[in-house]
Amino acid sequence: MDMMKSHRHQRIGTLVAAALVAAGILASAAAQSAPSNLEGVWKIVAPTKTLKPISGSVPFTPQGRKQYEENKRLQAKGAYDDYDITLSRCNNPGVPRLMMTPERFKIWQRFGVVTFDFEWNRALRQIDASGQPPREDMLGRGLVPTMTGTSKGHWEGDTLVAETTNLSDRTLLDDLVAHTQDIKVIEHLRLLDPDTLEDRITIDDPAYFQRPWDAVLTYRRQPAAVFPEDVCLDRLEAHQPVFPPR
Amino acid sequence: MKTELLWKSGFERVILTGVAALALAAGGVGAQAPPNGGPPAAKGAGGPPTFGLDLPPPPPMTPAEKLVIGLPAPMPGAIFPTAPLAADAPMPTADPRDLEGTWYHNQALAFRMQRDMYGVPVPYNLDGAKVLARRVNSLKDGAPYINASAICRPPGPQWQHDLNMPFQIFQSPDAIEFVFEEYHGRWNVIMDPAKASPPRSKEYMGYSAGHWDGSTLVVESSNFKQALWLDVDGTPLSANGKLIQRIRKIDNGDHAPFLEIMTTVVDPSYYTRPWTVVRTFGWQPGLTVFSEYNCEEQIGDPSVHADAGLVPEPKD
Repeated sequence: MDMMKSHRHQRIGTLVAAALVAAGILASAAAQSAPSNLEGVWKIVAPTKTLKPISGSVPFTPQGRKQYEENKRLQAKGAYDDYDITLSRCNNPGVPRLMMTPERFKIWQRFGVVTFDFEWNRALRQIDASGQPPREDMLGRGLVPTMTGTSKGHWEGDTLVAETTNLSDRTLLDDLVAHTQDIKVIEHLRLLDPDTLEDRITIDDPAYFQRPWDAVLTYRRQPAAVFPEDVCLDRLEAHQPVFPPR
Repeated sequence: MKTELLWKSGFERVILTGVAALALAAGGVGAQAPPNGGPPAAKGAGGPPTFGLDLPPPPPMTPAEKLVIGLPAPMPGAIFPTAPLAADAPMPTADPRDLEGTWYHNQALAFRMQRDMYGVPVPYNLDGAKVLARRVNSLKDGAPYINASAICRPPGPQWQHDLNMPFQIFQSPDAIEFVFEEYHGRWNVIMDPAKASPPRSKEYMGYSAGHWDGSTLVVESSNFKQALWLDVDGTPLSANGKLIQRIRKIDNGDHAPFLEIMTTVVDPSYYTRPWTVVRTFGWQPGLTVFSEYNCEEQIGDPSVHADAGLVPEPKD
């Protein structure tokens, strides 16, 4: 009888161990590599074209103010391609402006990389929080600043902290405010509650701003969805708004 | 190895085994004994070896075959090599229905799909051959046609995954989403049509409905916004054509798992029958961070013509 009990316990133990192993095999890379799960479909709570400082006004340097006023002048003239090639060409809005698109976006977390998949024009940005060395760059593409730059991230508790550099100066921070290639954008992304995502953005660009300044954007979780195909260039060709009105 | 004889109407030729192919290459082993005995045929008597079989001559070429064979050869494709996976690299899960991960085409780009997965020439009808011929010749003539890829539009599922840039797969019960580096592309496979019915307007990537057949994901893509170029040279698919993809994850235990996509082209407008090609994509978690793809910056430039200097293709 004791031997039978012992065999039964062994069998149960083996089954439990197998179940645990299977659960481990099937667990997503997201759960294994990130302290917080930001995955889901999100939409900005308060759509805006302007990146507003948390307090006060944008602390322009004289050079930054001059470029801002020039952009306003060009905007009044409708000379969009001279200062905002997102409006004139559907150019990738870049970081942080992508985070202000009024449509939805999805967040995926795989292998320590956080991928933002935007409904607007199927745009993409990624934050690399994997800690792995960058992939080989045989074509030297990393030498050229890009619209979304290079975003390196790490977790501080439940907050994803991302620093983005190597940003092209062909983008704007919003619909008017310019920046230089030396800009550094720091983001703190965290869940305020299961259905609310916050992106606290710090803009650091000494040539255009007297000091770093902060803005905050908030997003509400949306139901799971497959995004319809959005092709901004088709809208542009049809003389429709690059950012559809809401 | 076996010799397969395909004498179907129109197009197929005898397919020789590797031995026979070597025989042709060697040029001398092809001496055959005639069926009723007697001395073997003299070396260089002409034609492929018959092995004593009384084979009928191949059918004459159709006009479509002649047209396609007469085209300039496609450019040779290349591939950027990748290092073997590190010993401690994350690996795919053991679940055969979990296709999630980052994948990268591990074969050279095929500028023009000339043969199917069995080595049989693509079965063009005359209309299809004419479309291919005008596209290939437009390049030769220095007046290439507008196509989706050239003007920064989604190129359709086949071209999208045929390019040597990585993609990620994300799965949920309702859909399997492919996200590509190139063209910042998307390919959504709807697993539960009740939750994602076809969109109100047709999409460049079409509408793709998937289901599992054992461990194979079977996807049917149709309802395309426009006719597709299946590759760089313009192998055609009409807007009413259909692509059937069979996708499975393969791990041979050699630390080099890969994804296999068999695509069957179904398009009676251009082909005499369905035909299938196979592509494989290596598991590459190290390529999860994509390079930015921002073709809009150039194509959307209002100071240049929106067609990128290409010419409109004549409508069929």
